[in-house]
Amino acid sequence: MYTPPRPSPPTRRALLRGALGLGTAAALAACGDTDTTPRTSGDVTLALWTHDPGYEAFFAKGVPAADRATDFRYHLKVTRSGPSDIVTKLLAQAVAGRGTPDLVGFEIGSFPRMLRGDIAERLLYDFTPDIEAVPGLKEDLLPARTAPFSQDGSVYAFDSDTPMVVYFYREDLFAKYRLPEQAETWEEFAEAGARAHRDHGASMCVVSTVGSDPGQVVQSFQMLLYQRGGAFFDADGQLLLDSPEAEEVLRFLCEGLRSGFVVDVSDYYGAAMQTALKQGRVIGLPMAIWYKNYGLVANVPEQKGRWRVRALPRFTGGGGVTAAAGGTGFGVIKDKANTRAATEFLFRTWLTHDGQVRRFTETGYLPTRRSVFDDPRLGAYRDDFCGGQRLFRLYRSLLPDVPPFHQSPDQSILYDVLGGNLLRAYHGDLTPRQALKQTAADFRDQAGR
Amino acid sequence: MTTTVAGPPGAARAHSTQGREEHRPRKAWAPYLFISPFYLLYVLFMLVPVGVSLWLSLTEWVGLGTPHWVGLRNYRLLATDISFHRALGNTAVFVLVAVCLVVPLALLIAQGLNTRGLRVRDLWRTAYFVPIVVSPILVALIFGLVFDRQFGLANAVLRSLFGTGGVDWLGDPGLAKVSIALVMLWRWTGYLTVFFLAGLQNVPRELYEAAALDGAGRLHTFTTVTLPALKPVTAFVVVTSFIGAAQIFEEPYLLTGGGPAESTLSVTMFIYRAAFQRQQFGYAAAAAVVLFVLVFGLSRLVNRLLGIGKAAS
Repeated sequence: MYTPPRPSPPTRRALLRGALGLGTAAALAACGDTDTTPRTSGDVTLALWTHDPGYEAFFAKGVPAADRATDFRYHLKVTRSGPSDIVTKLLAQAVAGRGTPDLVGFEIGSFPRMLRGDIAERLLYDFTPDIEAVPGLKEDLLPARTAPFSQDGSVYAFDSDTPMVVYFYREDLFAKYRLPEQAETWEEFAEAGARAHRDHGASMCVVSTVGSDPGQVVQSFQMLLYQRGGAFFDADGQLLLDSPEAEEVLRFLCEGLRSGFVVDVSDYYGAAMQTALKQGRVIGLPMAIWYKNYGLVANVPEQKGRWRVRALPRFTGGGGVTAAAGGTGFGVIKDKANTRAATEFLFRTWLTHDGQVRRFTETGYLPTRRSVFDDPRLGAYRDDFCGGQRLFRLYRSLLPDVPPFHQSPDQSILYDVLGGNLLRAYHGDLTPRQALKQTAADFRDQAGR
Repeated sequence: MTTTVAGPPGAARAHSTQGREEHRPRKAWAPYLFISPFYLLYVLFMLVPVGVSLWLSLTEWVGLGTPHWVGLRNYRLLATDISFHRALGNTAVFVLVAVCLVVPLALLIAQGLNTRGLRVRDLWRTAYFVPIVVSPILVALIFGLVFDRQFGLANAVLRSLFGTGGVDWLGDPGLAKVSIALVMLWRWTGYLTVFFLAGLQNVPRELYEAAALDGAGRLHTFTTVTLPALKPVTAFVVVTSFIGAAQIFEEPYLLTGGGPAESTLSVTMFIYRAAFQRQQFGYAAAAAVVLFVLVFGLSRLVNRLLGIGKAAS
């Protein structure tokens, strides 16, 4: 009987060659383009990038609702990173041609980087047709909150919040110092504030002077500027800063610093602010509504029940009673297998009426759809930290005054130059007029390089 | 009869190596193969990035898509960019602080630590060395609290000692530079001290004894014995401090963010800002090339001045 010869064991060289071949094949496969055939149903794992664990939790809880409303069965793979790192990593992955997320959260201050050149157009899915496809959605979405994440008429991300700027104040200390809670104008407030500072060492307004964070320095000024009716950029990204409104607001802050009505604190969130709040040196400040959670509750939880919220006093010269500051827009990466699935997921969690109510109850961020502000569940909401105040009545009344915030690819340049010149104006080294002129000149020098 | 013919010495070995020589062409690549990883990695991670940076500096690129060739435009813009000039000026100040303040102070401390009979020398050495191993993030946090205008430790001390303490350490353009310089002093002096101390411990005792016999005082001994003996260490410390300070990033980035009004913006921060905040990668690359040329040129000059690499005469 013939017995076939046993195959000789592979030599070490053959094994090495085989391993090398397999490795090369794997490397080539890994370097190749990922599959972009659109998924239309079934199991789908969305890669979600965000800087905030609150959003991660919100989307995770939204999976069952999205599963019910679509043909997909969603799973999330979340990557958390710093706001600016998300953009850097996204661009790096886009250049590599692989590894980009499906759904990504852009902190508002980082989004202007996406507006440079044609980055947004090349990378992000334009939601405009999808918005128009949903009856009534276009009219219901607040244009003030789609503006920051739009370019050339295309909407690239949906904001997490309508971050209205309100006036937070210590009701107990206002009463004790006999300060007018319901004063109509900033000018009346400033007069009372100077008195409060002289008699009690307390300030009723805050500006940030943290040199390491121009965004924070600018924010103090930005909130009142937009309330007054001014702006940094128009819808086309042209600089509007050098305006009478800007000069009026900056002069108001500088005079407030001299009188003590305004106090400069190095950081809105850090130890300096905590000390100022604990010592009663800051008894009120204009800030976006999210500051209650991130600034007040975080720093002075023991002051629960003593704080109240009201609309900003008006400027006698004009403007509204609120502004907007902050936000995070969620966008979808275009031309990927999961683009459709991610878009539907966003629409079924982020933009539904119930989704926006849930977003407020879970994260504290206000709806971005006008109609949701009328929801009775939100109307019944009482804020314990603010002494059981029913805040939605106030928020609804402020809604018409929320100004749009247009961003420009050159925004970080403006923040850098404006931050420095604001500090020089606060110190008295420049007049408000000079500071704004200098800012405009510095901006023109650096923008477009 | 058997005749044994003795061949010339080495003939047998020559015969035996003949076969090896036949194979030599086949195996000639072996040494190159063994040293190739270094060259491959060097080319991949050193030469290619430098080359790409150079090429990128001649383009306009937002970080995605195809870079557009702009020739020397980025360099022309840098020449007129006030912000870049400011960054160069600030960096020059930081370099001066490092070379003219940190290095001499490190030498003085090393001299103190080298004193005969000093107790717990290792403890002192560790104490001076600790700042360099502390995370820069922590350093920024600590000094942010120290230099806070309203509630900082520095002003509290000034207030208690002199009754005045409203100094805006991080908010005033001039003082912000001073604050960065103080952090540099705190952070780097101990590190450099270790080098000087090692150098001092290698200076032969006989030289000091000879100087003492000649009647030299402390200062004279220091200038005629210690300093010449420390020349190689000093040269190394000066050059590395110069290069380190020319590329300073962490201290100003974390403490002041380059502000206020760009008064602490360093060139590396300028590069980072252009690339990762403004998406001007070509412009950032041009600034990086300028920095490279300046650092390389000046460190060569310092090398020559200090006689590094020259045989002792």
